[in-house]
Amino acid sequence: MSKSLFAAVAFAGLLLTLPLLAHHAFEAEFDGDKPVKLEGKVVKMEWINPHTWLHLEVKGADGKTETWMIEGGSPNIMIRRGFTKASLEKGTDLLIEGFRARNGRTMASGRSITFKDGTRLFTGGSADARQAK
Amino acid sequence: MRNRTLSILLCSAALLLSGVLQVWGQADKPAYTPPKTAWGDPDIQGQWPTVTMIPLQKRLPGQAGGKGGGKGKGATKQQGPQRPADVNNAPPTTQAALVVDPPDGRIPALTAEGAKRRAEARDGKGIPAEWREEADAPEDMNLYYRCITRGVLGSILASSYNNGNQILQTPGYVVIRHEMIHETRIIPLDGRPHVDNKIRMYMGDSRGHWEGNTLVVVTKNMTDKTSVGSNGAGYNGEGGIHSDALTLTERFTRTAADTLQYEATLDDPKTWSKPWKIAFPMTADPEYRMEEYACHEGNYAMENILTGHRLEEEKGVTKK
Repeated sequence: MSKSLFAAVAFAGLLLTLPLLAHHAFEAEFDGDKPVKLEGKVVKMEWINPHTWLHLEVKGADGKTETWMIEGGSPNIMIRRGFTKASLEKGTDLLIEGFRARNGRTMASGRSITFKDGTRLFTGGSADARQAK
Repeated sequence: MRNRTLSILLCSAALLLSGVLQVWGQADKPAYTPPKTAWGDPDIQGQWPTVTMIPLQKRLPGQAGGKGGGKGKGATKQQGPQRPADVNNAPPTTQAALVVDPPDGRIPALTAEGAKRRAEARDGKGIPAEWREEADAPEDMNLYYRCITRGVLGSILASSYNNGNQILQTPGYVVIRHEMIHETRIIPLDGRPHVDNKIRMYMGDSRGHWEGNTLVVVTKNMTDKTSVGSNGAGYNGEGGIHSDALTLTERFTRTAADTLQYEATLDDPKTWSKPWKIAFPMTADPEYRMEEYACHEGNYAMENILTGHRLEEEKGVTKK
């Protein structure tokens, strides 16, 4: 994305923002009007505070792979929602639904994670809070 | 009618009797004695996440109620905190507000100086809080938003997540860790004086001592930049910010194997007209684990916010 286009997108987005009672506002980082569905394999899971980061290798329609960074809730929030440290190991196939980052990078706030067996868990991240508004 | 009066009288007598019996029963029950550390101090170590959902203040009559609140006669709808998403359920309580003194459950009035400081902060724009769609510079957002600190009380009061607190003891020191912002307070117990008055720290300078089984921690040398509320929107929609004159006295008493009663008295004559006290029980959760805290990594909120505001300036959207 060109710098001016990015700037215009950021500008438009920031004019439409709503603050949230969270550590950093969802609206300052992610775009609620840009939902994404990402299917891929776990490259790395970072169980860190205040938000976890899941790295997912996603194959596009053109066959090229991209690595996405998906923000989730804090480790303790995710564990209370049913995740375990073993459930997001490298190579696990996942479908992630969330919202794309405003800065145009391959980043998103993940709302839910669906496993191959159909189990779907919410991440408890900032996208959850946004949805609850 | 006579029957009704009689039944009310009988009920009252029964209630009174049961109350007396309850008090009697409590008096008979020996007070809990915490285990001792190898060097003889009361042992208060462990994971004590803040799980309480008790609101900070009691609602004023006629004030619009928020989330939470009780039911039944005499219950007042409270401005309740969010249900923490990362801890076990809080034990049931009849406590209506974290503020236990004054007994009306309300934070005392601001002094004239305190009110003036708030009104004049940032040229009248107010004390920095969370991002509220205006930010000229990073300083327009509070210290928590900027991943710096939540202050002492902000670190221990309940938040929607990252509520972990861990206490560790060694001979001569108590260490209190807080999950959010990974604060660590190292508190000497050897009676040494506080550091020079000119030295100021966000988390202040703490000294501890034991009064029986109670750990008393006195904290001074704070700045005027931290606040009572956990995320700068602590209560009344503003930060609950104190001054550098605050003396904070905390008391930690293990009242059961799984309960640590917490009390904090705030004495800040520059901000509040009289000292006030909050109290709540902390509940042990031996399974609770604190993970590494990485606030800036992957966090582009500040960059986006300030980029947006610079663009607004270019396009003449804001006056600045």
